[in-house]
Amino acid sequence: MTGREAAARRRALVCVGPTVLALGALTVYPGVWVLWLSFQRRIPIFDVSRFAGFENYAFLAVDSRFWSAAHTTAVFTLGSVALEVVLGVAAALAIHAQQRGRKVSLSLLLLAWAMPAVVGAKLFEWLYHPAAGLINVALGRHAINWLGDPSVALPAVILADVWRTMPFVAILCYARLLAIPADVYEAAQVDGAGRIATLTRITLPLLGRILLLAVLFRTLDALRAFDIMFVLTGGGPAGTTETLTVYAYRALFQTLQLGFGSAVSVVVFALVMAVAWAYLRLLRTGTVAA
Amino acid sequence: MTARLRRSAWPLVLTVWLLAFGGCAAGPERGPVTLVFKYARILGNADPLPELLRAFEAAHPGVRVKGEALPWASDDQHQFYVINLEGRSPGFDVMMLDCIWVPEFARAGWLLDLTSHLQPDELAPYFPSAVASATYGGRVWALPWNFNVGLLYYRADLLAKYGLRPPETYEELVEQVRRVRAGERDPALDGYVWQGKQYEGLVVNVLEAFWANGARLLAEDGTVFPEPARAADALRFLRGLIETGVSPAWTTAADEELSRRAFGDGHAIFLRNWPYAMDLFEGKGSAVRGKVAFAPLPGRARGEPGAGSTGGAHLGVSSRSRHPDLAMALARHLTSESAQRAIALGAALSPARQALYRDAELVRSHPAMPRLQALALAGRPRPVTPYYLLLSATVQPEFSAALVGVKPPERAIADAGTRLAYFLRAVR
Repeated sequence: MTGREAAARRRALVCVGPTVLALGALTVYPGVWVLWLSFQRRIPIFDVSRFAGFENYAFLAVDSRFWSAAHTTAVFTLGSVALEVVLGVAAALAIHAQQRGRKVSLSLLLLAWAMPAVVGAKLFEWLYHPAAGLINVALGRHAINWLGDPSVALPAVILADVWRTMPFVAILCYARLLAIPADVYEAAQVDGAGRIATLTRITLPLLGRILLLAVLFRTLDALRAFDIMFVLTGGGPAGTTETLTVYAYRALFQTLQLGFGSAVSVVVFALVMAVAWAYLRLLRTGTVAA
Repeated sequence: MTARLRRSAWPLVLTVWLLAFGGCAAGPERGPVTLVFKYARILGNADPLPELLRAFEAAHPGVRVKGEALPWASDDQHQFYVINLEGRSPGFDVMMLDCIWVPEFARAGWLLDLTSHLQPDELAPYFPSAVASATYGGRVWALPWNFNVGLLYYRADLLAKYGLRPPETYEELVEQVRRVRAGERDPALDGYVWQGKQYEGLVVNVLEAFWANGARLLAEDGTVFPEPARAADALRFLRGLIETGVSPAWTTAADEELSRRAFGDGHAIFLRNWPYAMDLFEGKGSAVRGKVAFAPLPGRARGEPGAGSTGGAHLGVSSRSRHPDLAMALARHLTSESAQRAIALGAALSPARQALYRDAELVRSHPAMPRLQALALAGRPRPVTPYYLLLSATVQPEFSAALVGVKPPERAIADAGTRLAYFLRAVR
C-alpha cells in the first residue's frame, strides 16, 4: 500500500465516522437493546425484571392473538398494496392521457396523500358511521355494519388506507410516464401496435422499476400499519383489525410489558427486514428492466 | 482565513453550551412557587377550572398554578403519565386520574400517600365506591373529583303509551322492546343500544352483564373468572340481544357517543350510558327533550338486581412533587364542595360528594340529581387492582369475539383466562 493510499483510506474513515457513530447511537444501540429486552420479563412499574430466555417467544408461538395479528398484518399488506398498485397505475395513466386540467387532477390526488393519517381515518370514521355516514345513507335499507362486522371491518380499513396512499403510487408512476420519450410510442405506432399492445409491451414494462420501488415503500409502510386501525376500530371487532404493531403498542405502552412487547416488536422488525432484503435483491439483480 | 475563523468560533460555541446547561441546572427556585396541575379539558357550557385555579392563587399568595391540558383520550392520558412518571421527570404536582389507574400508580410509587394528610372524617361525604377506588392496600392515594355510574335511559313517552314501567330485568326489557316496536311499526326505531366496540367501554358493559348474572371478572383472592359458566352465559345473552335484533347490528362498533346520538335522535327505546347524556337529551333542540328518564340497569330474571359500573376521575399528588403540602392543598381545594358545585353547574360532570345531589342550586338546574344519587350509591366499581389495564386489554378482543359471534362464549372466557394467567404469573 502506498502512502497516498493509506492517507486516502484514513480520510475515508474520518469522513464515514460520524455517520457510523450516528447510526450506531440511533439505530444499532436501540435495536440491540430491544432485542435484549425481548429475552426478559420486564414490567418496570411492578418491579418485575428477570431474564426469561426464549419464554416470550415461546408464548408468542402458541399465542392465538399474535397469530391473528400476524394474519391481519399479512392480509392488510397484500390487500392494500395490490389495490394501491392497480389503482395508482390506472390513475397515473388517466392523468397522463388527460388533455387539460392535469394540474388540478394532480392536486386533488395529492390532497389525500398530504392529509395526516389520523385525519384521514377520522374522515372515514364518519363515512362509515352506521346511521349518519354518507355511505350508509346512500345504501339506504342495505346499510352495512362497516366497523362492527368481523368480515367487513378489515376490508373497510384497507379501503380507507388505499384512498390515502394510492396517490403516492400514482404520482411516482406519473413522473415515470412523463420521462418516456414520445418517439418510443411513435415507433410503436409505425409498427402497428394497438392500444393494448402499447400498454402491455411498452408502458407497463417501462414502469416496472419505479413500481417495484413504490411497492417496496408501500409494503414496508403497510407491514408497520398502526394509525388507521388504531383510530377506526382500535383493533376490533374480535381483534380482526389488530395488526402486529397495534399488538406491540398494547403490550408496550398500554400494559407496560416491556419484555413481551419487545418480543413482538422484534418479530415486526425481522419481518420488515426480510421483505426489504428480498425486494432489494430483486431490484439489484435487475429482473425487471427499466 | 476561514479556517482560522472556524477555529476561533469554538470557544464561543462552548460558552453557549455551558450557558445553556448552566441555565438548566440553576435549580432551587427563587420567587413565586409554581404548581402544575394536569387535567383533561372539561366540556360543558363553561369551563369553571381557570376561575377555581385563580381562587387558589388568591388564597395562597406567592403561589402560581399552571393548568396543563392532557390528551383527550383516556389511553393517551395513561401513556403520557406512564412515560413521564417512569422517566422520573414528572414536571407536575397534581394530576387528574381515571379511577381505574389509582392502584397501578400507587403500586408503582408515583402517588403521594395521602392517608396521613387526611382529617378523620374527610372522606365521609363521598360515595363509598369512589373512596374504594381511591384506596389501595388500605391507604388513600387520591381525592374523588367527579363520579360516574352506568344508567338505563328510556323513552318515558313510549313506555307510558304502552302502559309499561321501566324494566327491572333484562328479560322484561326484551319483552318491552317487542311490544313497543310492534306498536310503533317504525323500522328506524331500535330497541336497546349500548357499547359493544372493542375498547374499555365494552368491558364496562360486559361487567354489568356479569354482575346481573352473578359472575365476576376477578375474585378477591385474585382468581380470574371465578364463575366461568355464569360469565359465559352473560356473554351469550348479550350476543343474543344482537342476534334477535333487540340491539342493532352496529352495537359491535358502538361507543358512548355513537349510542348516545342514536338514542338522542329518537331512534332507540333504551340506552345504557353515563349521567352526562341527560343534560344533552334535555338541551335545546334535542329530539327527545322531555321524553327521557333513567332507571337502574336491569338485573336478570333468575340472577341478581342490576348495578351500574362506577367510574370517574380522582385527583392525586405526584410523589415527586417538590411542594407536596401545597399540592395537597390544591387537590383539596379542587375537590371541595364549592369547587365540585361549580364544576357540576358549568360542565356535564357529576360530583363525587353526595351532599351536592340534594343541593338546592344544583337540583334547580339538574332536577334528576336526587334520583341519580340513589343509583350512584348502588353502583359497583370495576376490579380495583394494579393490573386493571392488563386485565382489560386482554379480555377486550375475547369479549368482542363472543359478541360478534366468531367465538363461542365459553371459548372466549377460557382463552381470556389462559392469557391472563400467563401475564399475571409474571407480576404477582
